[in-house]
Amino acid sequence: MFVIVVGGGKVGYFLARELIGSGHEVALMERDRDRAAQITEQIGSIVIAHDGCEGKYLGEAGANRADIVTAVTGDDEDNLVICQMAKHHFNVPRTIARVNNPKNAALFKHLGVDEIVSPTRMILGSIEADIPVHELLILAALGGGELELVEAQLREGSPAIGMLAGSLELPDGCSVFAAIRDGRAISVRSDTQLREGDRVIGIGRAECEGELYKILLGEEPETAD
Amino acid sequence: MPEAINPAFRRAVIALSGGPTDAAIVRLALEVARPNRAELIAVHVVELDWTQPLDADVAERSEEAQRVLDAAEGIADQLHCKIESVLVQARDVGAAIVDEAAARRADLLILGLSYRTRFGGDFAIGRTIPYALKNAPCAVWVLRQPKGEEPQ
Repeated sequence: MFVIVVGGGKVGYFLARELIGSGHEVALMERDRDRAAQITEQIGSIVIAHDGCEGKYLGEAGANRADIVTAVTGDDEDNLVICQMAKHHFNVPRTIARVNNPKNAALFKHLGVDEIVSPTRMILGSIEADIPVHELLILAALGGGELELVEAQLREGSPAIGMLAGSLELPDGCSVFAAIRDGRAISVRSDTQLREGDRVIGIGRAECEGELYKILLGEEPETAD
Repeated sequence: MPEAINPAFRRAVIALSGGPTDAAIVRLALEVARPNRAELIAVHVVELDWTQPLDADVAERSEEAQRVLDAAEGIADQLHCKIESVLVQARDVGAAIVDEAAARRADLLILGLSYRTRFGGDFAIGRTIPYALKNAPCAVWVLRQPKGEEPQ
């Protein structure tokens, strides 16, 4: 597989290194010439010392034949531009973007980026797994980012407490299928009554996240950007 | 002829650029190799840009690449010696030559540095020679053309 990695920071560097180690062909774009030279020194002549946001250079990097373009710079705007250009100008089959500000995730999806990875959100997820907060945790993105595996801990005030799972008015394409209750995994069937403290696990379309939140946890709190 | 006790090398890779120093480095390598029957591998690298996959059918179709290797083989024939010629496609000439030397377990890598008469005349050392000097696992000889010599 031929993968173009745009952004030669820590993420891009290690990503390229792992991909090469797995036998893939990799081109890494890094606009900072010093950094590009440093990476070349470390992992060989796979670096193109140009800005991946510019179509000309993305073309020179071989976007016309790339299987995947992944944009992992520290700048969300750049990552969006790179993926859009790869997708719409070079017809790259799969684009993956790093999203630094989780608030941009919906925009990226709306604008056609195939998969998004939000390190901020992942870390938040890990923290929230241990800290009791009303939050819908994204455990994994599935189906090329179209679907999300989510977990919701039902706490006092959650509207789902006491309800039978079958009576939850879940959006189309969403389902709740398991729960962790008293430290044990249980299957959630339509006649399973949900209890306070249950960590309910479900799957659904990414755009239904807000609706799922409302059904399982109540009104979503306001957050600052 | 008495047998050399310490041969300069047993297996050498000769990096051919298609430039004016090619003939000189091939002759030098053949002369030094002959007493010890050392093995010689002439390598010419065709650099591919990223728009093409590395296995694209480019080098084999390149008349220029074939001419470079044919010229080396012609010199070897004149001197009644054997030389193996190898055509390589790569993204970077320096890395490809060093990789070839390492893969062949060569104990010597020979490169040429030609004199450039343009811009007042200088030696365009480029990226390949510094890369080879820094990264080759074996000894490296760089044959520099005499200063001011017109390219053939």
